[in-house]
Amino acid sequence: MKILKKCPILTGIVAITIALSIVSLIFKDTLYSEYVDKYESGDIPLLALALKGATDEVFPWSSGEQEALLPEDTQGADEGKEPSEQAENMAGGEENAIISDISGNDISGNDISGNDISGNDISGNDISGNSEEVYEFTEVDDDYFTDAVFIGDSRTVGLSEYCEPLDSRATFYARTSLTIYDVFKKEYIKTDTGKIGLEEALSRNQFGKVYIMLGLNEIGTGDTEYFINAYTEVLNRIRELQPDAIIYIQGIMHVSEAKSKVDKNFNNEKINARNAALAELADNKTIFYIDMNESVDDENGNLGEGLSFDDIHLKASSYERWHEFLLHNAIVR
Amino acid sequence: MVNFSDLNFIFRFLPIFLVAFYLTPVKFRTWTLLFGSLLFYAVGDFRMLPALLAAVVVNFLFAKAQTGEKSKSLLFFILAIDAGMLIEFKILGQYVDKALLPIGISFYIFKMISYQMDVYRGKVDKDAAFIDVAAYFTMFPQVVSGPIMRFDRYLENKALREKTSLSEIAESIEDGLRFFVAGLAMKVLLADHLAMLWKDIGTIGYESISTPLAWLGAVTYSLELYFDFWGYSLMAAGIGVMIGFPFITNFDHPYGSGSVSEFYRRWHATLGSWFRDYIYIPLGGSRKGELRTIFNLLVVWLVTGFWHGITLNFIIWGLSLCFIIICERLFVLKRLPAPLSKFVGKVNVLILIPLTWVVFAISDPEMLGMYFSRLFPFTGSGVAVNQGDFLKNIGIYWTVLLPSLILLIPRVYDFWANRRNRLIFNIIWIILFWACIYSLAGAAGNPFMYFKF
Repeated sequence: MKILKKCPILTGIVAITIALSIVSLIFKDTLYSEYVDKYESGDIPLLALALKGATDEVFPWSSGEQEALLPEDTQGADEGKEPSEQAENMAGGEENAIISDISGNDISGNDISGNDISGNDISGNDISGNSEEVYEFTEVDDDYFTDAVFIGDSRTVGLSEYCEPLDSRATFYARTSLTIYDVFKKEYIKTDTGKIGLEEALSRNQFGKVYIMLGLNEIGTGDTEYFINAYTEVLNRIRELQPDAIIYIQGIMHVSEAKSKVDKNFNNEKINARNAALAELADNKTIFYIDMNESVDDENGNLGEGLSFDDIHLKASSYERWHEFLLHNAIVR
Repeated sequence: MVNFSDLNFIFRFLPIFLVAFYLTPVKFRTWTLLFGSLLFYAVGDFRMLPALLAAVVVNFLFAKAQTGEKSKSLLFFILAIDAGMLIEFKILGQYVDKALLPIGISFYIFKMISYQMDVYRGKVDKDAAFIDVAAYFTMFPQVVSGPIMRFDRYLENKALREKTSLSEIAESIEDGLRFFVAGLAMKVLLADHLAMLWKDIGTIGYESISTPLAWLGAVTYSLELYFDFWGYSLMAAGIGVMIGFPFITNFDHPYGSGSVSEFYRRWHATLGSWFRDYIYIPLGGSRKGELRTIFNLLVVWLVTGFWHGITLNFIIWGLSLCFIIICERLFVLKRLPAPLSKFVGKVNVLILIPLTWVVFAISDPEMLGMYFSRLFPFTGSGVAVNQGDFLKNIGIYWTVLLPSLILLIPRVYDFWANRRNRLIFNIIWIILFWACIYSLAGAAGNPFMYFKF
């Protein structure tokens, strides 16, 4: 008691430290297994596990399944379901259910995931009438973007802020730190009546073109296959919500050489590997792959040095290159 | 780990050190401090530990040699060695490899120079024990970024000399912790977030920011630097208090100053008083006529500029401050009627100082010029400017900007400092601490900006 009177702050801090350490210790190998490497290598103290967990909304009282981002965790709930059942769920139902089903898909079974639902079904629908048509990229003017929507992370946010011709015509559903994994989960789109998710936004509005550039924030998560599976799910969902739109998969923009050389995740080798896989998702009929890197790369295939301040984002004055690229690489049906 | 806002420092090094320190019998406590400090330094910069050790030994021996008649040549010799070492490493660090600049060298060399001068002047005892001198030079709360405490303040530490009761120990730790948490919060919750806005402005590119955003940037960077360094200084002083040292004031509400000259008595005060006592006054200070005063000020500010870094912007920064201070001396404070001079002095502090920080921040002359052309857009309208950028960033960052601005008011901090053991503040401080730790655990914090200076 005397110590509490003399040292109230110290006592408070020590007590909470002990409590957090115990929690961390108990759930070290289960709930917090994702961070335990950092503790064991001495990078962070034990109690940081519980705090890192809290940052990612992993709490001792939350069940394991909810947090699933990675394949091995989300089994169970969706395992036994038939693909058709899942598709039903996707169409209706509330958002959370949809999300868990989507992630359930790419996760739970190889057999379910991309193959059944994705490419075949959908492109099949669209192909029917005009299967022989071969499209070529052509030049268009800015009015082309009047019915376009751009979905992306901070880089696309930058495009909206510093490319007036696009911002004044197109719609932007972009948000800093958005990833392919949470693009349908987060309610990030501002409307007059509050924030809504992509699902709802794409249900309310129909677009002629959908431009997607996602994939940098999550480049350290999972491998290319896992990323592509998630991407495929997103494409499928967008296709369902926007049956008539041309979908543009944009290759992930490079980072500068200074960044690429030293970062084990954010480097152009990884970006190129993912872009190559993304290019495969295009059917060149309704889904097209475009890579704006050619307009910003230096001779070594890195983001040109003068174009970026932080090695990751284009400077405001450089967005015009991206804009020009889009103007010259459009599909007209 | 050599970062006070590092989880390993807070939860591993500091508690273990404190326990070890107070478990050690008084007679050997200084050794615990010395070894703890060397360990701390070795973790941060093992390769450059020998440079620190050599400087400690050489400085101790030279001070020891000042027996009886004090020798001026001996003093000059060791001062030349110290200054030479600092300059050499600064040049190596700037032009060869950043890693060659030993952590904290700007600070520990300044401590050594002050020690030599004080020994020569008879201000401190030349027969101080090696262990005291070594612990003073290397002590971990100060070795990285100051404050530049004087040796006489070091000797005020009771915990190193006499038996302290358990309740005295508990009191010092608790009070030190209060300042530590206050500093940690300034650093983690304010400075690190302000840094994000400053970085965002760079990401846009200086040629493309609107003029309001350029001014917001100047304010933001000024606040960031202030809370980063004030926060660091409070943490350092707080750790000092925990182990029995007196509280060292490094920031005394500089933005409450009435002139730039006053600002620099209250900003990084231990550095300012160092320059006053060991350069300005030895040169004659202000006692040798106006012209000589101006010359002395020029020397002090040139050295200050170089001390911060050997790039053009630091020299411009130092010279522009020197110019403002000379103007204040000759005209503003002397010739203008009192209300007007007060007004101009305030304007200098609140508007000119942030502009000098912009010079401080941007080392590339071309980019610096660009930034000023956006602050004062007489020469053009910028490239791809989005006029909405100011409101957008205010919308995102007002939660950090507002408390930062409120904390500029001296009374706010003083209100807490005078009532800091009240229950309500104890509760708030525990919450603040955990808010910082939560933030630190979630994201890796960036190191202090003053690290390599």
